[in-house]
Amino acid sequence: MTDFDALLKRSFAEAHEPADDGFVVNVTAAVAHREASMKARTYVQYGAMTLGLAAVSWGLYSAVGALGPIGQEMMASLGLEVARAHAAVSTAPDVSASAQNFAQSMGVGLTQILMVAAALAGGAVALRSTRE
Amino acid sequence: MAARGFTNLAEATEAALIVAAQAKDQAAFGELVKRRQGWARALLRRMCQSHAEADDLAQEAFIKAWDRLRDLETPAAFPGWFRRIAVTTFLMAKRRQKAVFEEITDASPLASEESTPEAAAGAKLDLERALARLSDAERLCVTLNHGEGLSHSEIVDITGLPLGTVKSHVLRGTDKLRRLLDPDS
Repeated sequence: MTDFDALLKRSFAEAHEPADDGFVVNVTAAVAHREASMKARTYVQYGAMTLGLAAVSWGLYSAVGALGPIGQEMMASLGLEVARAHAAVSTAPDVSASAQNFAQSMGVGLTQILMVAAALAGGAVALRSTRE
Repeated sequence: MAARGFTNLAEATEAALIVAAQAKDQAAFGELVKRRQGWARALLRRMCQSHAEADDLAQEAFIKAWDRLRDLETPAAFPGWFRRIAVTTFLMAKRRQKAVFEEITDASPLASEESTPEAAAGAKLDLERALARLSDAERLCVTLNHGEGLSHSEIVDITGLPLGTVKSHVLRGTDKLRRLLDPDS
């Protein structure tokens, strides 16, 4: 190490450090603000997650509630259609009315299924976005 | 902002403050900032052209430190750990500004501009003014080498610059400072 290097090191060591002219207050205020923002963000996330979970729960509840009657209805319709088909084969009546009934029951079931699926998808999207 | 477990923050050791700050004690972190702000701001002021920019970067570095304090394994490692954050913050700011590490070739002696007996005797160097005449990269490397006492490989580790480049910047920066501050050499 040359004399100049030593002198340079000494000069760095002896260089004055800036006094606290409000710097600490600024930093602590920024940190406090950041923490408050983080807390608020956490609350918003919890709120969104609660909403998402509620939507999923409602969707599942509706699915469980709706699938029973739909299943029963579909089975009943199916049984009825089988019976009617059997009757049609044996007595040859007009089958268009029974086909129309079957389509209607399927339409009602599909609407419920679509609503439940939409609730599940919406809840899942809300949950995923809040986690991200 | 309760100072948990401290009767007097000013008397607490730095290690205790760091441990408390890791547990999100804002008052302890405030005391830590109070103790380290002079060093951190002086370091960044040597690297930056303007004091205001350096203070902004120092504030940014302290906030980053607050966010990442849990990553610090031992309180004793705080100075080196924080220095790395400060240097990274400086480098990122330079990248944001798309600053080119330009060469400043003007190395006319400062002593001729300010020929006080003190300066002429070389007893006290107007270091800050001389550092301002170096390029950003030279200033960074010289500050870390001579000011912070880091080896070339440690500077490589912090800055990500190639070893040869670091050596070159330190050598040329020191040479420029010698010509600026000690015109008789």
